[in-house]
Amino acid sequence: MTGPPPVRVEKALALMPELEALAPLRALLVSIARPDEATVWSSSGPYLTLGKRGVHPDELRRRMPQAFQRITEHLQALFKAYVEALECQQRADAPGVVLALLGAGRLEEDVGRHTQARTWYEVALRVAETLQDRRPEVEALHALGYVCLALGEYSAGARHFQRSLALAEAEFDQAGATAASEGLGDVALAQGQWGGAQAWYSRGLRLAEAASDAPRAGRLERQLGVLARKQRDLAAAGDLLRRARERFEAAGLADEMAGVLNEQGRLDAHLGRYTAASAAYREALAWAQRAPRDARLELSIRLNLAELDLEAGRLLEAEAELRRAEQVAIGGHVIRRLAQIYTLMGRLRGAQGDETGFVFFEQAIELARAVEHSVATEAQVYHAYGQFRSRLGQQDEARAYLERARELFDSLGEAVERERVEAELRALSA
Amino acid sequence: MIPPVRMEPSVPFAVPSREALALLRILVVAGEGGSGGGLLQNLRQWADDGRLEIDTAPDLPRAVRQLSGQRWDVVLAVLGEHPDDDLSWWVDTLRGATGSPRLIAVAQAPSMGLVLRAEKSGVLDVLSLPLRREELVRALERLRSVASETAVPLPLVEPHAVGPYALVGQSPAMLDVYKLLARVAGSSATVLVQGESGTGKEVVARAIHLNGPHASGAFVAVNCAAIPENLLESELFGHEKGAFTGAVTRKIGRFEQAGSGTLFLDEIADMSLALQAKILRAVQEREIERVGGGETIPIDVRLIAATNRDLKEAIKQGRFREDLYYRLAVVTIRLPTLGERGDDLVLLTAYYVRLFAQRYGKKIQAISDRALGLLRAHAWVGNVRELRNVIERAVIVATDATLRAEHLPDELRGEEATLADRPQGGLLTLAEAEARHIARVLAHTNGQIGAAAELLGIHRNTLTRKMKEYGL
Repeated sequence: MTGPPPVRVEKALALMPELEALAPLRALLVSIARPDEATVWSSSGPYLTLGKRGVHPDELRRRMPQAFQRITEHLQALFKAYVEALECQQRADAPGVVLALLGAGRLEEDVGRHTQARTWYEVALRVAETLQDRRPEVEALHALGYVCLALGEYSAGARHFQRSLALAEAEFDQAGATAASEGLGDVALAQGQWGGAQAWYSRGLRLAEAASDAPRAGRLERQLGVLARKQRDLAAAGDLLRRARERFEAAGLADEMAGVLNEQGRLDAHLGRYTAASAAYREALAWAQRAPRDARLELSIRLNLAELDLEAGRLLEAEAELRRAEQVAIGGHVIRRLAQIYTLMGRLRGAQGDETGFVFFEQAIELARAVEHSVATEAQVYHAYGQFRSRLGQQDEARAYLERARELFDSLGEAVERERVEAELRALSA
Repeated sequence: MIPPVRMEPSVPFAVPSREALALLRILVVAGEGGSGGGLLQNLRQWADDGRLEIDTAPDLPRAVRQLSGQRWDVVLAVLGEHPDDDLSWWVDTLRGATGSPRLIAVAQAPSMGLVLRAEKSGVLDVLSLPLRREELVRALERLRSVASETAVPLPLVEPHAVGPYALVGQSPAMLDVYKLLARVAGSSATVLVQGESGTGKEVVARAIHLNGPHASGAFVAVNCAAIPENLLESELFGHEKGAFTGAVTRKIGRFEQAGSGTLFLDEIADMSLALQAKILRAVQEREIERVGGGETIPIDVRLIAATNRDLKEAIKQGRFREDLYYRLAVVTIRLPTLGERGDDLVLLTAYYVRLFAQRYGKKIQAISDRALGLLRAHAWVGNVRELRNVIERAVIVATDATLRAEHLPDELRGEEATLADRPQGGLLTLAEAEARHIARVLAHTNGQIGAAAELLGIHRNTLTRKMKEYGL
């Protein structure tokens, strides 16, 4: 009565060439992949990864029209944005052209196509540069700054934000200057330049407060809170996050509330206040439910919650939360985060002294290379993999994986992470 | 003849919080819609008899804040425009809440799918707006009936220790296993252990190892289904440094690690035909080669393989080598499902309760009759592994000396058919009856569509379509 068994994702993906045109099909395949029913309670069940999930070709065929519809809708929106730009051009409404092109870039960003978004923004910037009104140029530079940040191109991002700030100040565009300061702070934070980030965020906060821009001020306070936590000024971090929370709650901004409570949870975890951290994460999830659906935000909270459980030794809860996160990532087309989920799964198995946990690191490395295309993620996975091997007493393998992590962090210029790995290598040799 | 396990009821246990259920604390989350005010007013009037204490929260986030600070018996939540999504968020939220409060979901004209999903998630009740007093009272009375649970002491269990594990059970089906195990352990014969998932194949393999001539060597287990196919060969046979990308060091494989001990190949049916050939060669020749290495390494391991599949069927389908099957199945031990083990369920429950109580620092001496009833009634698709999992979670959340129904997962409590007992307001339509039956079968198979389709006698595609149609 039952049909043929499903095809494993690892085999299904091996049959699909790495072509951009097939990216939506790949995403669809992954999103409909389910654990093989027979494996749920089998002894391999706890080691289930994306590659071991199964897909039914007939289900893929059935769902293809939905994927085509999504692609068509996306293309329609892009074409529409372009036609709007053209109409504005016809009316000699150059700011309208910039607006329409920026809109198209945002559509690309929404579906994770950052490189394509950058191309739209670059065209928008070229048009904006010819205008007397500099605000469209400020906006285009701002969009470019963030897309560069998302692509890990920090220097280019910083250049765009700097130009955006100079223009905004020359135009007395306070909102533009605040946004540029926030962007510069974000770039500095991403590069681990905490002093610079502090200065930019503080400047942005002063501007936002002067303009009574509560949401922006709240965001800057949250970022300052993150920074304070990283610099171990935990009292200041708590104070900043509380102020941000008060602003967001008063303004009824559910997504921002979820974000700031997620940070509060991390701070509480840092302070060893597990109950408070857990409560903060749970409230963050509740706010995320009220906000427009954002699988990335939900994932971030669930991963933090899982890490908290892992550190507190609540391994069953950690595993359940990671499996929920895995489902959110797969169902919500956020496959890029799966590498992080499987790294945590591997850490969890390491905590249980379970050698077969290595399968999670292997899957995470594969995802970091093939799906996420992120050297930073690959480096983090190798780092955790080395720790896992070391915990199991396999020193040679631990050293080899840590050396690989060091090499990757080196290639990225990640001095802080490199130093951490170096210290662990020294400890291994001691 | 093995006497059935007797579970003598003791006096009903005294749990202050449960006795205090005469006064129920209800957190009402009525949302910001128009229905909120009227609903609250009604609830406050109905609470006048002194048996309800009501507080409110405007929305889910604020409710979470209140739930983290205090203990509540019930959360009455009005679901919004997306009731299915709202319900799953509420179930997720209450999973981590202090005191495991029960959920009463209130919705505008709840659909059949919503009611059945709620049933499966262990929701106390789904009520429709406008809320009627008698419906609420009936739901709350069901909760109060919890207080009538009776504690029964855990029976004594004599487990046969197997390293860190144990063999527990005295059912005739298990006695047959013990006898065969005793006969085979003394030899070096290769053994194939067959049984459904979670029946304890690895424990039996360990028992054979510990009672056999290879006991002084290591017991090395490899889960063939867990390891990616491209890594399994090097995991089993090892590799030389640089044999392939990622071979960062020389690796000693599991055959070598086992030395003169036992190599346990779990889920052997999941191995590719190419690798099966290499295993066959290792078994026949008693030697292996590391991947990327030219040296031949002699081996002296005892091989025990296990599978939850029908290997003869796999041979017919060309997915398993017949010659390897006959090499592995010199002796075959078939393990019974938990359902076939009768009262072993009680002994296993008692064993795991004690094991986890010790691990988590709890003092649990009894289980309630209701909890035991739920455990007995459940279809254990995952067999002993699923039972172990359920008991571990229950012990973690238990706060007193008796494990009660409320400590069991929502899915099990949902099987108590609380919602199904609701008067339907007349006869069911054919579609309602079908939806309800499908939901029941799905609950029975733990959501496994293939197994449910088989039970229902329809193709899985038809079942999937019907599930979609009924919103299941």
